[in-house]
Amino acid sequence: MTGKLTFESVNCGDVLPEIKQHISQEVIWKHAVASLDYNPVHTNPEWCATAQVFGLPVPVMHGNQTMSLMTSVITDWAYSSGARLKRLEVKLIKPVPVGSTCTYGGVVSEKHPVGKGEDFVVVELWAKNQDGEQVAVGSAQVVLPSA
Amino acid sequence: MGYLEEMAKYQKTEKQKSFSADFLDQEQVEEYEFWDEIEIGKETVVPLRFEVKAEDMIAYAEGVPDANPVFYDEEYARKCGYDGLVAHPMFTTQVLFFLLRKGHGSWIRTPGSRNPGQILEWYDPIRVGDVLTLKTRSYDKWIKRGKYYMRYLSELYDQHGNLKMRGYMTLILPKTREDVMRFVRGEHALEA
Repeated sequence: MTGKLTFESVNCGDVLPEIKQHISQEVIWKHAVASLDYNPVHTNPEWCATAQVFGLPVPVMHGNQTMSLMTSVITDWAYSSGARLKRLEVKLIKPVPVGSTCTYGGVVSEKHPVGKGEDFVVVELWAKNQDGEQVAVGSAQVVLPSA
Repeated sequence: MGYLEEMAKYQKTEKQKSFSADFLDQEQVEEYEFWDEIEIGKETVVPLRFEVKAEDMIAYAEGVPDANPVFYDEEYARKCGYDGLVAHPMFTTQVLFFLLRKGHGSWIRTPGSRNPGQILEWYDPIRVGDVLTLKTRSYDKWIKRGKYYMRYLSELYDQHGNLKMRGYMTLILPKTREDVMRFVRGEHALEA
């Protein structure tokens, strides 16, 4: 809880610490169990070999796991300071096949001084694969405590 | 070992252990609602309830994976200014999949479905002990570049009627029951 963030201490252009995650089949299976989303496009390699929902013969990670890791960029950065995520919008651009390694990050783009306890910032979020290709983009509204 | 047995190794919570992981079970799929059958404007309050336990919230954070102690340690969360253990914001995914099993709203389970993106808004923290209900309403469907889209609204309420989360969800689905059944058989069945 060192270096507590406040609405006043955060500035447009601040870059949030990145998260990196290798997407093994085990990581996908654990997410399936955690989310109760057992869709075979994520969980069943044999089925994926023929069904090829995304034109790929292998499982892909859950779109909501991508969204969860993008969300974790926010929570890792600000939740120890008592922040609150109030809105998240994510566009999923490319499927993420098993074996990928993705990086997730964000940058503060707007400050909204709308009132104590409700002041929020907008963070532009991104997720990239190991080739530097964007697999998802989004934005988050994050309520930050006042000084 | 099959994929279902592999995943069973990770099931720890009461809900995880009681939930059917076989999304290719034809009997369950028969009870889904398919793209060409979706009635726009229809609203449903899902009869099931989700009683939030700490183990549910912790299990979701583990599966992200996210090791932030606010999701695991109630005392630490209180020191950070929260009124109890914090749910990872995307914990609502687990709630929706637990509640949406058949009929209106079951689209999220469909073999062959694709997720192009979502909008989520959180209005009040989900807390241990909450009993959550889900209201869902289909409000648009369209065809674009040969793909069959639909959009629906999901709202989670607690036992006091407080709105916890509103989601504007979009999916790309197989068009018909037969298209879904082809996917169930492992055939490639997309028009696009």
